[in-house]
This record gives sequence, structure tokens and C-alpha cells, in this order.
Amino acid sequence: MSAPDLLQPVVSPRARAWRRALRHGGVLFGGAILLAIALVAVFAPLIAPYDPYAQDLSQRLIDPVWGPKGSWAHPLGTDQLGRDYLSRIFYGARISLLIGLSTMCVSGLIGTVMGVAAGYFGGRVDDVVNFVVVTRLSMPVILIALAVVAVAGSSLTVVMAVLGCLLWDRFAVVMRAATRQVRDLEYVTAAEALGMPVRRIVISEILPNVLGALIVVATLEMAHAILLEAALSFLGLGVQPPTPSLGLMVSEGRQVMFFKPWLIAIPGAALFLLVLSINLLGDGLRDVMAPEGRS
Amino acid sequence: MTIQRDPTLRAAAAILAAGLAAGTAAADKASDTLTVALDMEVETMNPYQSTSRMSLIASKMMFDTLVWRDPKTGEFAPMLATEWEWVDATTLDMRLREGVTFQNGEPFDAEDAAFTLNFFSGPEAKTKGQSSVDWIESAEILEPFKIRIHLKAPFPAALEFLASPIAIFPKDYFEKVGFEGFETAPIGSGPYQATEIVKGETITFVANPNYFTGGARPAPKIGKIVFRTIPDLNTQLAELMTGGVEWAWRIGKDEAEGLRGMPGLTVADAETMRIGYLTMNAAGTGGETPFTNLKVRQAVSHAINRQAIVDNLVPPGARLIPSACFPDQFGCEQDVATYDYDPEKAKALLAEAGYPDGFEFTFDVYRDRPYAEAIIGDLAKVGIKANLNFAKYATVRDALRSGGSQVAFLTWGSNSIGDVSASTSNFFKGSADDTYKDAEVAAWLTEGDASVDPAVRKAAYSKALKKIAAEAYWVPLWTYPYTYAFSEELDFTPTSDELPHFALTGWK
Amino acid sequence: MLGFLVRRLALAVLVAFTVSAVSFVLLRASGDVAVAIAGESATEADIAAIRHQYGLDRPLAIQYFDWLGNALSGDLGRSIFFNTPVSDLISERLPVTVAVGALALLFAVTLSVPLGVAAALRPNSPIDHLAMWLAVLGQAMPSFWFALLLVLVLGVWWRLLPISGTGTFAHYIMPAIALGYYATPAIMRLTRAGMIEVLQSDYIRTARAKGLGTGRILFKHALRNAAIPVVALAAVQFGFMLSGSIVIESIFALPGVGHLAWISLQRSDFTVVQGIVLMLAVIYICLAVVADLFNAWLDPRIRVS
Repeated sequence: MSAPDLLQPVVSPRARAWRRALRHGGVLFGGAILLAIALVAVFAPLIAPYDPYAQDLSQRLIDPVWGPKGSWAHPLGTDQLGRDYLSRIFYGARISLLIGLSTMCVSGLIGTVMGVAAGYFGGRVDDVVNFVVVTRLSMPVILIALAVVAVAGSSLTVVMAVLGCLLWDRFAVVMRAATRQVRDLEYVTAAEALGMPVRRIVISEILPNVLGALIVVATLEMAHAILLEAALSFLGLGVQPPTPSLGLMVSEGRQVMFFKPWLIAIPGAALFLLVLSINLLGDGLRDVMAPEGRS
Repeated sequence: MTIQRDPTLRAAAAILAAGLAAGTAAADKASDTLTVALDMEVETMNPYQSTSRMSLIASKMMFDTLVWRDPKTGEFAPMLATEWEWVDATTLDMRLREGVTFQNGEPFDAEDAAFTLNFFSGPEAKTKGQSSVDWIESAEILEPFKIRIHLKAPFPAALEFLASPIAIFPKDYFEKVGFEGFETAPIGSGPYQATEIVKGETITFVANPNYFTGGARPAPKIGKIVFRTIPDLNTQLAELMTGGVEWAWRIGKDEAEGLRGMPGLTVADAETMRIGYLTMNAAGTGGETPFTNLKVRQAVSHAINRQAIVDNLVPPGARLIPSACFPDQFGCEQDVATYDYDPEKAKALLAEAGYPDGFEFTFDVYRDRPYAEAIIGDLAKVGIKANLNFAKYATVRDALRSGGSQVAFLTWGSNSIGDVSASTSNFFKGSADDTYKDAEVAAWLTEGDASVDPAVRKAAYSKALKKIAAEAYWVPLWTYPYTYAFSEELDFTPTSDELPHFALTGWK
Repeated sequence: MLGFLVRRLALAVLVAFTVSAVSFVLLRASGDVAVAIAGESATEADIAAIRHQYGLDRPLAIQYFDWLGNALSGDLGRSIFFNTPVSDLISERLPVTVAVGALALLFAVTLSVPLGVAAALRPNSPIDHLAMWLAVLGQAMPSFWFALLLVLVLGVWWRLLPISGTGTFAHYIMPAIALGYYATPAIMRLTRAGMIEVLQSDYIRTARAKGLGTGRILFKHALRNAAIPVVALAAVQFGFMLSGSIVIESIFALPGVGHLAWISLQRSDFTVVQGIVLMLAVIYICLAVVADLFNAWLDPRIRVS
């Protein structure tokens, strides 16, 4: 955006979108929860009452504060190895957000490049991208992820890489459609006629105009990645213990869930809240950016 | 047949039939039906096609072996063979029981025994557990009820194998139906016959009314036993608590605590011959590691609070082991160097070894993740950072053999054989699994394995085990008890051979 | 129409080939199957013998083309663990997976389509908001967690439904809900959006102007048009459900292909996983083609172009 725009007294479309966003319940609510979770995650080392890795076998499976034997020493109790559950939830949120963001970036980059290329050039490029997308969609994600993790060994990096390389399909499809709409607009054809290089057309003309769709897909995929990581960790092939991952905590707690249901209820609820906030934000942003979609 | 082949039709039929069915039949003492939960399916009804424990459990129901090994005392007793005699070190004569019939009425005689031994030790059968049959040269029929088994070489464990994996097949029936036919309608002479097999879900066994008497194994007591495959352990618990199954095993410590208070259930623990241990890459195959340093290995041994893990995480009945073998095995020397829990000493040893600030390594694990996590936590307290690599058994074993593994948490069940030759010798005698490359230890173990004199063997094993402990090649951890939970109406006794003997089980 | 069909089929075949090649390489790299077959107490010699016996010591490319040639003639190889043909294993277990998937889809559609229609008829009404909230909440629920909660609450605490197995229709209810709810939000949103669009279109207005009853407009005209993208989505979701049922099948002890794939992967029985990946890919591709054709049948505009 160039400087004169900002100086204009007239309200720009972007500012109008902001104003709508601030009035939108979903955006506010989702944004607030997500912000809170993000703050907890970022400042986990400062606010967590205990080291999430510090085990104490004499303090195992203590009830949370509302339970019969609970106390404020461990507000959410402790797990099977006597680690503070609250601290692990804080750090677990950190891992989830990290996975969500990294997957969003990697898959967003892959998907956007493919989608924009297909949408802009069309023809053969479009055919090839379409083929790759269909191939990717027809591979069962979980099975492929499990197979890759089995080869590469499971670690945080591997999980981030695998999810990043698998979840770009929606980016590609949406970016392709959005780019096709934009590329026939007058100013793009005008830029082409002026002989502007393709790279510059894409960066300065196309991308800013598909940004809205990109953000919406990005939030959805972030939520998707967080859920998939949790599922992989639940199956034992995601993030490795003792790293606190919310999915792993559900998996570790489920053996005693009939006797200590909070062991699965708490991390599951945390995961639910995190994904819910991201989805609310994403949905809200979609409404804000395309108000006509929601009459 | 067309319906069988067409998945859509079968699915529709399944839903329809399910909708019409009244509900699952109650399974309990009143209906003389025992339903047990197993986490893996019995993948084949032919025990020679498998090395899995599930198939061995099923095999014990359907088949008899020549010799019976009493699961409580470990002693051999007559089963299909009434008496046996070693003619020399490679020739074993066996007299067979008369009057036994297979479940289809086919009478049992030397033809069946000789056929089983010859066919399944031969190349045509493609037997999976090669080590359980490859010691057999041939079997010949001496009389209608007497056979002679020729061994390829002297093999002290022959009776162990004749008592466990080698199930006797009905020759005529098997030759008629072949491998595929046998899968759908297996026939043995054992106390139970598999009458209904729903792949991946249930196997129904019905008591064999004509089971022979006079052998070491009594006649079946329960009318019908159903194996249900329930892969998820807490689904098993849910079914156990709501009466969907009457028996489950390998229950974790905390779950067992919860179940102990529940009415109608009995919870029992039994030690098995399985031991847990950490193996450290002491020889440095695959590159130099901190673990080639004896002080580091000793530091690791001192750093792990094994007692706390046994007290808090391992089911009741576990013992700490000092030595690289199961304590009750023949030759398992207990008087060896031990390493008490002492994190300060561990830190001092690390500093002496040149790692005052500790180091990082990859910790290969294939089961019991909570134990591994506890070990990682203990190591972290002395400054060693273990990065968990949870992988399949095959992967970990590959890594060990290629020298790619630094430290691995493994377990070993010795094939339920009560002799050090089945444990220590497996790992320290220069085989592919020997990552320590200690020639002295290997020589002592070879001496012990080759001798028939108990005193010589004991002395040789003792020397080997003392050096293994002094060198801290392993961190021997603990024995593995299994916890069983079952209906209080059930008269079930857990045994140490990691096999539930349902054929010996009855109602109270 | 014919050209369209031929193109779709050519693409489908190409995709199936690519999927099979990629998964073959991946799975073979994921573990030494010979070690897995030989079992815990095998010696190095046992393993070498097994490797030779199963042809695992040949170059990977040769093994792949060998497998492909057989697969084209309908032979997916033998499971190393079960020692039975993979096609038999799959046909034994696919019915359970398909049954759960179909019931899950049925659950999702019966819940989401009426809600979506109701929401579209009264935008911004309480029912619209309720539907939106259900959608957002549903999408955020981790399916493995939801399944565990169902077992805990409906199975153990209230004892309303059988927990595991496939004995009766009731056995399928919990798995179908656990698998189906995740598809509900997407189908509901699409139904709602489609209905709103159609209801605002000229021909519905015309129909209204002609004095046709609301019910008739709704079912004869509006729903039929709004259904087009919903059907496509439902078909695709069904494909995802088949492959997404690994966790659900394990938790509810259903002997389906999802669980078969998962345990086979754990024990390096790669011929089975390979067969299942190929089958799922083919099913997915077929569903996509069928969805396209169905759309063409529903919407004359697609047929003409």
C-alpha cells in the first residue's frame, strides 16, 4: 500500500473490514481466546508453576483442585509420572501452536505457489497441478503420515515437516480459484500489456487480491494441523514423550480414564478450546472479508 | 458366494442382519461361555505359520504336543507321548499314546506324529519359527505307536520345543484340506475345537467331548470359550467393567488399582520370565559414543531409580534384577557388582569421564513408554538428555545390529526356557545381537553352553555374568509381572510362561 | 460428456499408478519386513533365509514392477503376517469399514441437511445460530477424544450402548457418531449456503410469484439445486471416512481395513498396507468421478457443457 492511500480521509476498504471485524462476535471471541492461549504458550516458562518435565514418582496422579484429594499445589493435578498437569498443558499449547503455525507456513507456501501458478498460467501447468492435487487427495493422509514417520523416526521436526508437506491441498485449490478470478481483471491484463515481469505481477497485483482467501484457508489448515498432530501423537507416532503434546497427554491418560477421567478431559478440552478459537476466528474473518456470503 | 465376494452386498447384509439380531448372548458361568479379550487377533490357525503369542495361545487350546510341560512346576510329563528315551545325544525314541482321536474322529498314531515332525521341519512347509523345528533331522516310524526322532546335532532344549510350539497335526485331514482348508476348519486332538472364526473379530472354541483322559492335561472344564480381538487396552477395560468380556491381561498398574475395588472382578499378578534391560553400545560399533566409557555406563546405572519405578509404575510382583538374566534361570549368578541409586555418584562419575555437564543421546524404545519416560526423567536429573526414539521392535533391532543404536530399552522372555543359555548367551556370545564384543565373556558362555556338567556350566556362567555386571554393559532392570483381571466366577491361575492356559481354566 | 468421462478416467488411472509407486517406496523404506516375520528369537541366518524366500533381496524397482504386474491381474500379493492373499484380507474386512462409513455418512447427512435447510430458511434466527454453533463446536472436537468420551459416558457410565465389536446394529452407533460428526459442519454449511443462494435466485422468486406452495418450492426446486455441491462433498467425505477410520476402528474393536492397515504398518507387513492404500485411492477416485456424474445428472447445465 502506498503512502497517499493512508492519508486519504475517506475510509479505505481495509479499514472498513477492520471495523466489521471488531464488531463481529466470532472474531472477537475466537481472537480473545486464541490470544490468551498464545500468551500462555509464549510465556509458559514464566507462568508455569513447575518444570513440565520434572517428574516425581511420589506425587503421582494427584487429583485436580476440585477433586477429593486435590490442592492448589497442583491446580490440575499430576500425571502418571507425577508431573504437574497445568504446566504440561501450558507447554502442550505451545507445541500445538508451533505445529499449527509451522504447518500453516510450509503448506501455505507450497499450496500458494502451486495454486497461483495453476490459476495464473492455466493450460499445462494447471493440468499438472490438478494431477498432483488429485494424487495427494487420493492418498490416505493418516496412513501416509504414519508411514513417513515410521521411516524418518518421530520427532517434532519430522511431524512439522510431514504435516507441512501433506496439508497444502486446500491452499492449492482455493488459491487457484482465487487467482483465476483475479487474473482476468483489467489491471492484471493491463500490467501484462505493459510487459511487467510475471514475478512482479504475481507479487504486486495478484497476491494482495487473494490475501483474504489465503488467510481464511490458513486458519482452517492451522486448526486441521493441530488436530492431526494430536491424532498422530495419540497413535504414538507424533511428538515423542516426554515432550508435552495435548494429543499425547490424552493418549497417556486414557489407560486410567475410567478411574481418573480428568486425565483425558483436561488436555482434550484444551485442544478443543484451541481449535475452536482458531475456527471461530477463521469463520469470522471469512464473514468480514466476504460479507455478502452471509446475508 | 457372490454375496461373499461383493463387499457392498456384504456390508448391507451385515447391517441388516445386525439390526435383526436380538443382542449379544450373555456370556458367563450360567451360559458356560467364557469370553476373553486379546489385543491382537490370532492371525492363523496353523501355529507353524506364525511366531506370535496369540497363535501359541490358540494352539494350546486346539492341539496336543508330544510332551507336556507343566506351567506351574516346569516339569515334563506325558501327553501324546507316554514315555521317551534318549538312545544317544541325537536320537530320541518316543512311545505314543493309543486310543487318542482327533476332533474329526481320525485316530492318532505314529503316522501323524512322524508326518508333523518331518513336514513342518522341511522346506516345503515354510515354517516361520524356524528355530523351533530346524534341529529336527527326521522322524521315523518304528512301530504303529512308536517313533524315533533324529536330531541334526545334540540339542538340550529338544523337549522344551516338543512341549511347546510343536503341535501334532492329523496327517490325513491336513493332506486332504491343505493349508487354506485348514485355516477355515482346523482340527487337532486338543481339548477345544475352533468351530467359528470371524476374521479379525472372534474365534469360538467348543470343548472336545472326546478329549483323552490319563494324560497330564485334564479334560476341558468350560463348554465354550470365545476369543475376542480388542486392540485398544482401555476398550478391553470398558468391556471388562460392563461384563462384555470376563478375562483380560497385561493390565497396567494404575488400571489394576482401579479394578481391584470393583465388585465381581478378581485381579491377580504373576511374574513372568520376561526381563527388562538397557543395553549400551559399549564396543562403539557404528562410531564413538560416550557409552564406550565404563564410567559413563556406571553413571547411567547409578542414575536410574529402579526401585522407585518398580514401586510406582510396574505392576506388583516385579523384582529388581542385578544380573543379565532371569533370576530363576539355571546359571543366573546373582552375586555380581550392583549399582545403587545414587545421582550424586552418577554426576561424579560423569565428571570423571569428562562429561561434567552431561551429554545428549538417542534412546531407542519399542514398548512400555511410561517406564522409558521415567528413565529419561532420572537421567535428566544427572544432566544426561535422552531423546526418545519410539520405534518398532524390528527397527530397534536393526539399529542395534548395525551399531546405529546408542542405548536401547529392551525386554527378553527367553522363550520361557529356564536356562541362561536362552538369555545371556543370546546376547553376549558373538552373535549379531552382541554389541559388546567381549571375547572373554563369549568364551565363558560358550564353555557353559557346550558342557553337560552342571557345576562346570554354573562356574562358567558365573564368571561371564560377573564381568558383564562389572563392565556395566547392561542396566538390568526388573522382571515383568503380568496383571490379569477376570470375573470372580472364574477359576484361573496365572502362570509364569506368558501364556494363559484357558484349557486348564474352569468356573468356581 | 463422453470426452469428459474419458479424461476423468485417464486421470484416475494415472493417479492410481502414482499413488502405488510412491507408497511402495515409502512403505519399503519403513522397516525390514524380514526381521518382523522372523520374530523376536530369530537368528541372523533365519532372517537372511526369509529375505531370500520372500524375494526381498531383489532390487526395489524389480520388486515394484513385479507387484504392479500382479496387481493389474488382480493379485495384490500375500500378507506376510497372515500368510493369506491381501485381496482376501481386504474383502473380509472392507464390509465393516464400508458399513461404519455409510452409517457415519447417514448420521452426518440426517443431522446436517435439515439443520442447514432450516438455517437457510430463517437466516440469523435462533435456529441459524444454533446450527452455526454446532458446526463450529463439531469442527473443533478431536475425533479420538470424542470417541473416548462416548465410550466413557454412553458405554461405561450410562451403559446405553455396546462398546466394541460388531454383533448388532447397536454396536455400530457409537463408531458411526464418532466418525460422522466431523463431516457434519462442512455439509451443513454447504447446504445452508446453497439454499440461501437458490432461494434468492430468480426462478424461485418466479415460482413463488406463481403461487406455488412453500413445501413444493423447497423440495422440488430449491433442495434439488442446493444438493449438487452437497452430494459432491458427501462423496468426498465418504472417501475420507474410509481412510480416517483407523483410530475409530481401533477404539471400537471393529475388524475393518483401517485397523488392518494400522497393525500391518506396525508389523511391517507392507503388502497389506500397499493393497489398502491402493484400494482407498481407487475408491476415492471412483467416488470423485461418481460425484461428478451425479452432479451432471442433477444439473442439466453441467450436462450440456
